[in-house]
Amino acid sequence: MKILRKTLFRLLFILPLIGFTSNIKAQSDPTGESPATRTYAITNATIVQAPGKLMEEGTIVITDGLITAVGKNVNIPVTAEVIDGTDMFVYPGFIDGMSNTGAERPANPERPDNLFTPDPPNYYAGITPENQVVDQIKVDENSIEAMRKVGFTISHTVPYGRMLPGSGALILLRDADHPDKLILTEGSSLYSQFSGAPGAYPGNTLGIMAKFRNLYKNAELSKNHSELYASNPEGVARPTRDRVSEAFYPVIEKRQSIFYNASNSLEARRAMRLQKELGFNLVLGNLQEGWDLADEIKSTNTKVFMSLELPKEPKSSKEEDKSDEVKRLEERRMEFYKKYISQYAELQNAGIKFGFSSIDARSSQLKDNLLTIIENGLSEDQALAALTTNSAELLGISKIAGTLDEGKIGNLIVSKGPYFEKKSQIKYVFVDGEKHEYDVKDGSKVKEGDETPVADLDAILGAWNYEFTTPQGTQTGKFIFTNESDILSGTMTSSDGTPDTDLQNISFLNGELSFDFSIDAGGQSVDIVVVGVVDGNNYEAEASVAAFNFTFPIQATKDEA
Amino acid sequence: MLFLCTSVLQAQTKKGDVLIKNGTVITITDGTLENTDVLVRNGKIDRIGKNLKTPNGVEEVDATGKFVMPGIIDAHSHIAGTSINEGTSQVTAEVSMEDVVDPLDVGIYRALAGGVTSIHLMHGSANVIGGQNETLKLRWGSTNPEDLRFEGAPRTIKFALGENPTRGGRSRGIQPQSRMGVEAMLRNTFNDAIKYRDAWNAYRSNKSSRKVAPEYSLRMETMVDILEGEVLVHCHSYRADEIYMLMKVFSDFGIEKLTFQHANEAYKVAPELAEFGASASVFSDWWAYKLEVYYSTAYNAAILTENGVTTSINSDSGELIRHLFHEAAKTQKYGDLSDNEALALITLNPAKQLGIDNRVGSLEKGKDADIAIFDNHPLSIYAVPQMTFVDGVKYFDIENDVADQRIYIDPESTVEDVQILYSNDHDRCMEGANVVNFTDLFNNK
Repeated sequence: MKILRKTLFRLLFILPLIGFTSNIKAQSDPTGESPATRTYAITNATIVQAPGKLMEEGTIVITDGLITAVGKNVNIPVTAEVIDGTDMFVYPGFIDGMSNTGAERPANPERPDNLFTPDPPNYYAGITPENQVVDQIKVDENSIEAMRKVGFTISHTVPYGRMLPGSGALILLRDADHPDKLILTEGSSLYSQFSGAPGAYPGNTLGIMAKFRNLYKNAELSKNHSELYASNPEGVARPTRDRVSEAFYPVIEKRQSIFYNASNSLEARRAMRLQKELGFNLVLGNLQEGWDLADEIKSTNTKVFMSLELPKEPKSSKEEDKSDEVKRLEERRMEFYKKYISQYAELQNAGIKFGFSSIDARSSQLKDNLLTIIENGLSEDQALAALTTNSAELLGISKIAGTLDEGKIGNLIVSKGPYFEKKSQIKYVFVDGEKHEYDVKDGSKVKEGDETPVADLDAILGAWNYEFTTPQGTQTGKFIFTNESDILSGTMTSSDGTPDTDLQNISFLNGELSFDFSIDAGGQSVDIVVVGVVDGNNYEAEASVAAFNFTFPIQATKDEA
Repeated sequence: MLFLCTSVLQAQTKKGDVLIKNGTVITITDGTLENTDVLVRNGKIDRIGKNLKTPNGVEEVDATGKFVMPGIIDAHSHIAGTSINEGTSQVTAEVSMEDVVDPLDVGIYRALAGGVTSIHLMHGSANVIGGQNETLKLRWGSTNPEDLRFEGAPRTIKFALGENPTRGGRSRGIQPQSRMGVEAMLRNTFNDAIKYRDAWNAYRSNKSSRKVAPEYSLRMETMVDILEGEVLVHCHSYRADEIYMLMKVFSDFGIEKLTFQHANEAYKVAPELAEFGASASVFSDWWAYKLEVYYSTAYNAAILTENGVTTSINSDSGELIRHLFHEAAKTQKYGDLSDNEALALITLNPAKQLGIDNRVGSLEKGKDADIAIFDNHPLSIYAVPQMTFVDGVKYFDIENDVADQRIYIDPESTVEDVQILYSNDHDRCMEGANVVNFTDLFNNK
């Protein structure tokens, strides 16, 4: 492989095998699982109504989806299911500022035959701002439950795609039989990314920046034209329908913000550069390198959702005779790790009110990452604000969410022990007034994701020797699968010395093992999806390169331990 | 034209004060002055003379026995860019390298360590009309791309002729696939730009309140700006016939500001270049790396200079950029250029080609204090750069040359004892231009 390297955005997903049984069924549900009441009262609990606002031995009542009472002496309706909150801590449900939660990644668009690369069709170029994320949302997407069980109740979900995938929506992470029932508000954002089209315009940041300006400028002209025509069509050329331009109208009118996925500092600066030139309202999402940007963010009034993804803590070499140079390099690497984990506190101290976004993070890592951020200077109240009140404010939903006040949506977390203590466990998450209950383990050994049938995983854990043949010859190496804290991860090594690559989206279900990885080919990221069947120590799979409409077989055999 | 917001974005960059004492000062425009001081105030050269008094609070640098020259300017570079080619379309005049400036590229520091103070960050040569380039000052250490911008430098754009753009055309099945197609594409695009300009002029002069604007095209806006002389063209080229072709095309469209990049056969049409007023930016002695550049000579720069063509020597490489003074010195072996002529190839002449010679390229009162200090004469094979200043601020000092210059570090990167990385494709014209195909994808070379 020409350049095989780790992709920037690691997305290792927990096995999508979590057996969650819905407890919310329609009234006529013959299974008898429908709740007897939609009124709940949690009594004698420590209630954190808002960051820094704590009530001990309080009661909170939820009726028909809304919080109807919070206090020490409140009447508990006779119809209420009463939950004893002794030793329990109640928090407002968390709000995710930018994620793909609930959305299903569509297949990569097929490369059209005879593609005219300078001017590809919009769906291939990734210019589909007229799309709505609700069309990608699936009610049974694993991510909904994965995020809910760690305390998230509302997600600003943005669509998958390339440069301009479409508009995002605020969704409630509840159970429903139709995506429409998850929607809190639609058109919450116009989502934008620095993702080029494979082998077509715009192919990279150069083209994306220029194309964005061009689209925006023409949208302004198109808007003027259509308004002129609407006011009086006589003698005015009839405007042709242009859904791409129309999608920008709410942005131009500042009724909608552009959410830019800007993970690194250069991307963030580019997004702010476009904002300064064109004047739209900008929200940076997924920011992972913000420590040098405080002044810029403040001077441009940019809103920010910081990423909840953190780099892994670097491990220094244990070799005793390591050189001074290696020591220095390790120190500098650690110095930068510290920048990543302490930037949250620094931005807070600089007066930037940020929320969090989970788009590049793994749900199972979120709490550990939050605790790391808190250990490095952000206070618990500030972290809670970023998860609740700040996000609500930045997303314009402070009236209905973010705190535990009467009249707000019944979104809350009930935790055994204070949430920001490492050993605390979430017992209930209420979304839209509906109760979701989780098993809480006793003792110190907390094991999450226990529904995962760990035993099944043994069939794939370990090293597999793969082989596939390309026009350049036969490639060999290893796929290595590991299971740490019930997170299945994988790495691909190559015998020719190419650096290792992380495997993504690993799934092993009913003997079918699938995963994907990316190759950086001449500055262009190419995704390769591998799907196949495990039979004992043999794996027969097919790899597909969507960008080239090409597939080839891969075989692997497992190393005997 | 429509996005005149750059001044708002421009951060205040650092300006230094320094007195460089008692050096051999190579001014380029006013001879070489022995035992001379250069006083820098607020980033500008304030005085050049003997026994200057040190103003209060101004740092002194003892240059006794050393050589002080204008900072080297590389008119063709691909360092400090996160992307180089938007090669998916054969005309991409709308894209600009200013959007992809990478202030974190360690290549910037390596260039400073070679006495370089400014580079012309160019778009690649994958397409006929590539993107706009960006002239940078190497203000190393900032994380803000705006800080590297050469404020006030004219806009420039990359064109490309010959094998590179036609290779892209053939692999994508689009025009141009031959040199004839390149010329046709140039003429068609300029004619489109004239039509575009006419349409917008008609719209602007229309007094009706019910007028409807034509479609906006950032690509055509840029082409119009080229026609109007606001954007300097730097054209990747090798063969004499294609060089001559472009001069004809530009004559037909009335475009005057033209620099040929590489131009290995420019010596064959040197008088024609001089008559047109075109410049050339060449390699010292590098050719035969592909068919169209099979025929060349190390005398190219000298012949062009002797014919009155403003000529520079460039690197087009993250490695050559570290010793452009050696490259310039080769013109003394091959062509007997004088010291001053040879050094002008990497200072004043590239400054002229970039339209920044009023600011840099020589040591003169009032010019920017972009200065390189060498221990020996910079054209000596023994010359080693000692210090490099941009706007009077010292960005390189061989006495304080910290090994790990990285500005951002990936905490998940591996630490190895020896890190020697060399990629032949990196920081070069065709970087990232690969039309990815299955063979490339699995080619381990």
